[in-house]
Amino acid sequence: MKTIKNIFANFKRYSFLMQQLVSRDFKVKYKRSVLGILWSLLYPVLMMIVMAIVFSQMFNMRMEGVNYLVYLMTGLVMFNYFNEASNLAMTSVVTNFTLMTKVYIPKYIFPISKCLFVGINFLLTLIPLLFVILFTGSGATKCDINIYYLILPYIFLCMFLFTVGLGLLLATISVFLRDMFYIYGIILTIWQYFTPIFYDIQMLPTKLQAIFKLNPLYVFITSAREIILFSKMPDPYLLVSSGVFAIGMLLIGIYFFRKKQDQFIYHI
Amino acid sequence: MIRIKNISMKFNLGIDKDFSFKMLFISLFDRKRRPKLEEFWALKNVSFDVQKGEVVGLIGSNGAGKSTLLKVVSGVMKPTKGKVEVDGSVAPMIELGAGFDQELTARENIYLNGAVLGYSKAFIDEKFNEIVEFSELVDFLDVPVKNFSSGMVAKLAFSISTIVDPEILIVDEILSVGDIKFQEKSRNKMMEMIKGGTTVLYVSHSLASIQELCDRVVWLEHGEVKMIGDAKTVCDAYYLEQMGETQEQGIQRRKQENEEKKHKEKNVKRKKKHEKVIDRQL
Repeated sequence: MKTIKNIFANFKRYSFLMQQLVSRDFKVKYKRSVLGILWSLLYPVLMMIVMAIVFSQMFNMRMEGVNYLVYLMTGLVMFNYFNEASNLAMTSVVTNFTLMTKVYIPKYIFPISKCLFVGINFLLTLIPLLFVILFTGSGATKCDINIYYLILPYIFLCMFLFTVGLGLLLATISVFLRDMFYIYGIILTIWQYFTPIFYDIQMLPTKLQAIFKLNPLYVFITSAREIILFSKMPDPYLLVSSGVFAIGMLLIGIYFFRKKQDQFIYHI
Repeated sequence: MIRIKNISMKFNLGIDKDFSFKMLFISLFDRKRRPKLEEFWALKNVSFDVQKGEVVGLIGSNGAGKSTLLKVVSGVMKPTKGKVEVDGSVAPMIELGAGFDQELTARENIYLNGAVLGYSKAFIDEKFNEIVEFSELVDFLDVPVKNFSSGMVAKLAFSISTIVDPEILIVDEILSVGDIKFQEKSRNKMMEMIKGGTTVLYVSHSLASIQELCDRVVWLEHGEVKMIGDAKTVCDAYYLEQMGETQEQGIQRRKQENEEKKHKEKNVKRKKKHEKVIDRQL
């Protein structure tokens, strides 16, 4: 109980630092670009257009009764969040080493601030997604905004917590093994292809489908798609497993990070 | 205020830093070639107390463990063995400007670095003008720090980190910051903080400033406490061991050397004059 109180006191004490780090990231990211923060809105749209052209025109990908643009963009926006946040969280501890050797700062601040920074960016990318939802598709493939949208924050929160947990774990590993930066790059590429972003899981053999469904990203993205594309309540199984994945990964990450954080300083 | 009890600090040199799969693979099969742990004890069984309001200096040659000790006290490092108890807020002035982001302006960096040092937003808002004024950088507030000279960066950093009235101040040789005018100003500021009843842990190679500021001095050598006592005694003993003479003797010797030098110069001048006179006569 006391430790929980301590954690919250610490959180409160360093919330201003967290806020400063997030705003620093924003300022630095867009400082020298002409369009600035508009890139956060443009980037996912451009990515979606490229992928839509590649898959629906060149590979002739069709899904009956589904607005493919929205399908594609939902997956893309969510996976991009995970991709960028987990990557930045992983490198955040090593890149801030000089600071850590000089002043006492709780080390978990760095991975979490990165996940928050990308998270805010993610919320911005929901704006173009909303436009695509409202202005594409016709007839049966037209998507509506519906009551189940209220569940979306829960799904995004689960994805956020999952990413924080994984980020803490990756940051810990990468302090001791810098090769992790490269290894994780490859893992991410594989992970992206194994997540149904531009294809439908139904296209795979049934045996493979079972394995693919264990992918936490599949669970998050599919839950969001059920709401956005089909205006229906996601399968309770999906919602529960979202929470389980999130809390589980978070606990694993916290456990390893806490156990090893005092040794970080010897591995600069 | 600060209780340091039997602190030891171990660093592993070698293995951890060049860990590679190649070595892992080799060591699996060949135990002899397994990289050896090279231990280095930066601090060995160091204990002393610092009372409230006391100014304690740390001296010792390079690598004696002074900075490591400061890092342990400020909480950056956890000691391998032993315990440190610190009552009160600690303001580390170990290396200035560590929290600066080169891309951001001075204004933004004041907030960022303040946050790094654990200040709240309200506190920085309140002290903002004071910081700017002290740093003498009013005209450069909206310039990115990457365009600053190193002296300007140091001035800004000093102004931010001395704005608090901490209960415990940890200082690692930062008095030589900026130009002469600013050095004097920062010295005065430090003196003001020290005299204001702050507990201070101070590292410096300048024995003069140590003797001037400190009540007590701890002499570290190879990670061990060699001597603790009042400033003058310890500084004298340290100087004697390092230079092979006491400080007074050193001062005397330098005086003598100077005089001899002057004497020689005079002689040379006289000789030249003499030669000139002879030249003219010829």
